[in-house]
Amino acid sequence: MLFLNVLFGVSAVLTIASSLLCVFTKNIMHACVYLLGALLGVAGLYMTLGADFVAVTQIMVYVGGIVILMLFAVMLTGGKEFVSKAQKLLNLVPLMGNKWTFLIASLASLVFAGVTVQLYFKLPEFFKTVDNTEFSSTVDELGKLLITDHLLAFELSSVLLLGALVGAAIIARPRKEEVK
Amino acid sequence: MNSTAATFFTSIEAVNQAIVTLSEKVGFNTLPLVSLTIILVMALILTLVVATIGGYGTYAERKISADIQARIGPNRVGPYGLLQPLADLVKLLSKEDIFPMAADKFLFYLAPFLAILGVFSTLAVLPIASGLILTDLNVGVFYLIAISSLVGVGVFLGGYASNSKWSMLGGMRGASQIISYEIPVTISILAVTLISGGMSFGKIVGAQGGLPHQWFLLHNPFTFIGFFVFFVGGLAETNRAPFDLPEAESELVSGYHTEYTGMRFGLFALAEYAEVFVLCGVATALFLGGYQLPLDVTNLPQIPVQVIQSVVFVMKSLFLYYVVIWIRWTLPRIRVDRLMSICWKYLTPLAIFNLVGVSVWEVVFHGQSLAQLILGH
Amino acid sequence: MISYGSYLLISAFLFVIGLIIMMARKNIVAILLGIEFILNSAALSFVTYSKFITKNLDGHIFALFIIVIAAAEAAVGLAIIIRFFQIKETIHIDEATELRN
Repeated sequence: MLFLNVLFGVSAVLTIASSLLCVFTKNIMHACVYLLGALLGVAGLYMTLGADFVAVTQIMVYVGGIVILMLFAVMLTGGKEFVSKAQKLLNLVPLMGNKWTFLIASLASLVFAGVTVQLYFKLPEFFKTVDNTEFSSTVDELGKLLITDHLLAFELSSVLLLGALVGAAIIARPRKEEVK
Repeated sequence: MNSTAATFFTSIEAVNQAIVTLSEKVGFNTLPLVSLTIILVMALILTLVVATIGGYGTYAERKISADIQARIGPNRVGPYGLLQPLADLVKLLSKEDIFPMAADKFLFYLAPFLAILGVFSTLAVLPIASGLILTDLNVGVFYLIAISSLVGVGVFLGGYASNSKWSMLGGMRGASQIISYEIPVTISILAVTLISGGMSFGKIVGAQGGLPHQWFLLHNPFTFIGFFVFFVGGLAETNRAPFDLPEAESELVSGYHTEYTGMRFGLFALAEYAEVFVLCGVATALFLGGYQLPLDVTNLPQIPVQVIQSVVFVMKSLFLYYVVIWIRWTLPRIRVDRLMSICWKYLTPLAIFNLVGVSVWEVVFHGQSLAQLILGH
Repeated sequence: MISYGSYLLISAFLFVIGLIIMMARKNIVAILLGIEFILNSAALSFVTYSKFITKNLDGHIFALFIIVIAAAEAAVGLAIIIRFFQIKETIHIDEATELRN
């Protein structure tokens, strides 16, 4: 229980701090690194929920794949050039946006957050805590579920991944007339 | 929280007695606190030991390369130059900490720590002896593959943040090489988990025996090939020769850590050598029987058994470590355009073929190994 | 401290962060980054429900498929970004006004 509390605290602080920094940073490369911190934090939260397989898959796919892809994309498209030059007050905050888009976005999000918090606090189970802290392995169970109840979704996702792989390769390759 | 090491130590009679008396004196159950302390102390010891092995990796590398090239190697500091890593450490620590003018300061400072974090986090699941696994996660091998991809991020950011063309090229090569070679490595590990029926290291090592014919290396012809796919892919993932293109001295000065000085460079070097040790440890645990002894240990006194098991494990790993260094000083570096074709055209299809082969073997022979088939159990 | 509500609040927080990033930024990579936040918030909610409400593993399956979809989306999205950059030499979202080059 002690260990779980420590893990939860660290992960929650890591997630929230990194995501806030991700909004307020001006450099898109830094934003990707903060995204990495937030994703690791979410993986820690999965661990406290006893979802070991999901947590490790999160680290595997996001850290090993998506974040590196994003870093590559930022580097290939020259990330630093796009920092806006006019940097006063609210223009400091978002990268490349102007203050109106940021204001509208924040207001809309605040309204959304207010409604969500209101709704959540009305839930009867809101303060329910984790009852048993002894986790059993989810791997065997997940494997069985994937090839019985969710077989169709599993097969479809493999087709989706293949399509994404081929599509990405076709889209990103240089056209023949451009090579000449 | 289920830490194998903590469970092992608290189940020893004397420790258990001490906890009980302590709990009576303090007035509450001190078991969680003691377990947490054991885990922290174990983690500290493990980190220090692997850091020392990593440090002595540089010494071993120089001595063995000197031997191969008929030179003497370091012999000035201490007997046979054994204190050379300490001297290197002092030199690195006392160097000026330079960072380039145009570098991205935050990422430049962060990159070596990400690389170190990725390597040392893997130690949590490394099975040194049956009671000395820091935590025997149910997803152990998967966790190890996942967390070690942080090294790729560290290498890439180190290359990008230095803002120098050598570093940039080295970082890009490093990241693409690491994420490409992850695929054959992962698939060949998958074949092993098929045989053992679980992803935890305890289960994988437990499914093997102490004698060579009980190892997964000789379980069937497919795992025999799988070991070499794993080892070659692992060499590429740790950026070792003949795949050390990210830091190819002859073309890229020194790759992604060209601009690093002092201890930050030292951290990158330490991460590389420690990662090679982890790779050798994982290869030992997956294919070479891990810490298993060729006798029944259930009724023997536990402490000596643990010591002998860890010695066996470390000896096997160090033998592979020697092979890695030997390969580096024997083979020339491969060409950059052949790097990716080796991964995608040869290793990955071979790994997939192995996976299919192992599945078929498991179905046809009901999980029996080659030796069991020949000897009739 | 580890209560049902705290997970839901963190999940809602991630969603809001993703929404702000998606709405406020003009860099296409940053918009993809916002989408990742939103997908993560959804996955976290699913795993939380599976722990506290349904008490089975269906939520985990949902989270796994969300991760798969995030990977596919990132691969195709970044390929499109690189192609877009080759044509327009910028990744400002307002420049993407034509369907053919």
